[in-house]
Amino acid sequence: METDSSPSYLESRKLVKRWSGPWPVLANTLMLAALFYATWWVFQDPRGIMRLYTPYVGYMYCRWLLIILIWVAYIFDYWPFRRGWIERANPLVKGVVLTAFSVAVMLLIIEGFFMRILGDYGISYMSPDRLEAMGITRFYALEYATEAIMMFAVIASWLSPAWVVACENAPWAKLPQPTRGITIMLVTFLFSTIIYFLTMHSHMAILFYPWQQYTAITPGYWESFANTVSGNFHIAWIMCCTVTVWLYETIWERYPFNLIKTDWLRRVTSFFGIVAIAFALCFFLFYAQDLAWGETIRGTRRLMAPDWRWLHVGEMAIFWLVPMLFLNFYCGNWPTKFSRPVNVALRTLITIVAAIALYIAYYKTAHLFLGVQKGYSHPQQFPMIPTIWLINIMLINMWFMDGWPGWKAVPKTADELAAARQEIVADDVRWSPALGYGLAVGVIGGVAVYVLFVNILPWLGQIVTIIEGSA
Amino acid sequence: MSEQKTTSRRDFVMGAATGIGAGAIGAMGLYSYTPAAYKHFVSLPRGNREEFGAVRSVKITNISETSWFDNATLMGDIQAAGGLLVNQYTIGWPPFGNGKGIARGSFESGLESIRKMIPGNLEEAWALQSKLGLHPENPGGFSCLIEVESLDGTLHKYLLDSGWSFDWMDKAFKREKIDQMLAAHEIEALFLSHEHWDHFWGLPVTVKYDDRIPIYTHNGFYKEGLQYIAATGHKGKLFVQDKPIERIIPGMVVVKYDVPIINRVFGETSLAFNIKDKGLLSISGCNHQGILQCTSFLRNNLKYDNDKFYGIYGGLHISPFEDWDPKYDDLVISLKQYEFDKIGCNHCTGVITAHKFVERGYPVVKGTARFRSKTADYLGNGDTIVF
Repeated sequence: METDSSPSYLESRKLVKRWSGPWPVLANTLMLAALFYATWWVFQDPRGIMRLYTPYVGYMYCRWLLIILIWVAYIFDYWPFRRGWIERANPLVKGVVLTAFSVAVMLLIIEGFFMRILGDYGISYMSPDRLEAMGITRFYALEYATEAIMMFAVIASWLSPAWVVACENAPWAKLPQPTRGITIMLVTFLFSTIIYFLTMHSHMAILFYPWQQYTAITPGYWESFANTVSGNFHIAWIMCCTVTVWLYETIWERYPFNLIKTDWLRRVTSFFGIVAIAFALCFFLFYAQDLAWGETIRGTRRLMAPDWRWLHVGEMAIFWLVPMLFLNFYCGNWPTKFSRPVNVALRTLITIVAAIALYIAYYKTAHLFLGVQKGYSHPQQFPMIPTIWLINIMLINMWFMDGWPGWKAVPKTADELAAARQEIVADDVRWSPALGYGLAVGVIGGVAVYVLFVNILPWLGQIVTIIEGSA
Repeated sequence: MSEQKTTSRRDFVMGAATGIGAGAIGAMGLYSYTPAAYKHFVSLPRGNREEFGAVRSVKITNISETSWFDNATLMGDIQAAGGLLVNQYTIGWPPFGNGKGIARGSFESGLESIRKMIPGNLEEAWALQSKLGLHPENPGGFSCLIEVESLDGTLHKYLLDSGWSFDWMDKAFKREKIDQMLAAHEIEALFLSHEHWDHFWGLPVTVKYDDRIPIYTHNGFYKEGLQYIAATGHKGKLFVQDKPIERIIPGMVVVKYDVPIINRVFGETSLAFNIKDKGLLSISGCNHQGILQCTSFLRNNLKYDNDKFYGIYGGLHISPFEDWDPKYDDLVISLKQYEFDKIGCNHCTGVITAHKFVERGYPVVKGTARFRSKTADYLGNGDTIVF
């Protein structure tokens, strides 16, 4: 096993509450809300100061900040910052410094690598200046370029954490930093690039008139399957992959694939298992919309358009990610008192209910305080931006500030570290006839739950109105 | 023995908890997006489709389809103001400019500056706003005259929208003699398709010639919009439509669509006609609801001759800023199956879309590219079409 490398900072620390009772979670929730709204107003809000929510410019920054946070904490283990400083620095100072560092890296990558190097010397649609020079208005030149650059981050924010979580950094887990970080970043970036060209390049090529058929397959090969030429089909499953990686890492505690004891088999199964679960989620969320709102009409706009329905699959998945991370970060991954499978099932149920509540609350109220458009499907209605913006703040709070103010980091003891290492391969669920019997009954129950949902969704679609008179 | 039972029960529960997830996820993946899953989607019956009579013919005169003359200028203003979600009244365009610059306009201060000049002295009002507002040379406007011949031979005239620039619209009205028709009260109503600057802000030009003309609006108009109607000096009836379908005369209805629209506008109304022996005609200002969504709604709610979509006219809101998105290609590809006989598009349909329609052989009625219209690929300013 290649799991005996020195623990990362996130693995080596334990977050303990500063106060007993609900005060830590209340204090952090309040801080998250205040930081979210203040930064939203400054950077994103169409009524605010910088007004980056155009939407793609703001979305690009939002997604790239997410991937940089993942790189800093998960891939590079805070390199180039020294472990001693990371362990001892004041959480507020650390939060400011690491966030500023992440933003600087983000700007360097976006403005330097994508817009200047790739955009000026390789792919013209990555450069707003080049697009504008060819006659496209500045606004759309920026939108097109930032959409393309953003898509790299979307793909990388699935692959980068997947390499750590599912593949357990193999085969480079024992390499020191920054060698390990650079290697994994480059490899995942390479795969992101390949997947970008297989998924989004055709989408970008038909943005221009006439279709750029000598540089890309136009229309995309997915047209008949997805009932659209739009790359939103790929956004749907890729977003589901991202969410499933974090589902698997947080509230599922890497269950059930961590029961596989053979390293390579566990890693391969985890990686492709996550993809398989993501596709199941993706297809279900699309089908659920068809059940609730009726079958799509190709070529139409908004709610009934297949391209928007695919996009909304990704949006719904992200609504699930928010409570998932909140439960893991701020509620101690509650509940924890049952067996792991039961805990996992209960957390899944709790977060699904919370995600539905968040979804309803968002569409009922977001236009009142975020400056976004009322309705589900307006082209400027991108719930992924505020939700990922909030997730970024949660990640900064937990990864860069050790959960300040409600929590503080203390080093894990040797026993706790050993126990954490053991978690990579779980042995608390073992095969027995009773387990098999339960599994069979459970599978039947799971299918029954699915059938129930399929049957009640058309009825729910008829009786539930979240946004009065809107599409 | 008891411990063994407890263990078995515990194992069973663990297995069941895992199985529920596996079963549900398995079903989601294996069934959800398969042909079998869609077998029980029956085509809904078309319901109680409304008989609404018929008209003999409809003639449309395109007073102005050029809402603005330079895309880069318009989009530059929108971008500088903060994007497509910014409240249109705050961007700083005339007639709601206040001299404070981009994104610092306000409905109240803009209106206050011209309140005493509208509708009687539009030249002075526009001259003042040309100093206070952003890029006053860019606005044009959208408006068309609709002449409906009833089955009994009666001629009805209506106006759809009133454009934007007071200066441009006044000249366009005079060019097509709309000013005289309004002054003679020949035009029976003004339909304001939606609250956007280029369809609505030129309202004083209509009111200048006929302050008693009945006005129809969508009930999604914001309070600023309703205040503006009052401030123009309009003294006629104002119908704020809250029903999905409103009958006007036999064979003609106004259809309301509740859609969020850029720059904080909500809702659009379109007109639908049943042309005797030909079929359905839809006329729209911008068609923000989407042409296929529109046809789908009409198909399910109205009865019309031959059960056929005969024609469409107006802005189809596909590439209004000569922007593009692959989803628009979905429309271009899909439109064929709707088999329209006549497509009279312009305005926010976009030049690129018109080119793509023509390339695919759709029956797009060509124009003459006069009076600053940019292409002959669609109906331009001063062009007419008869359905």
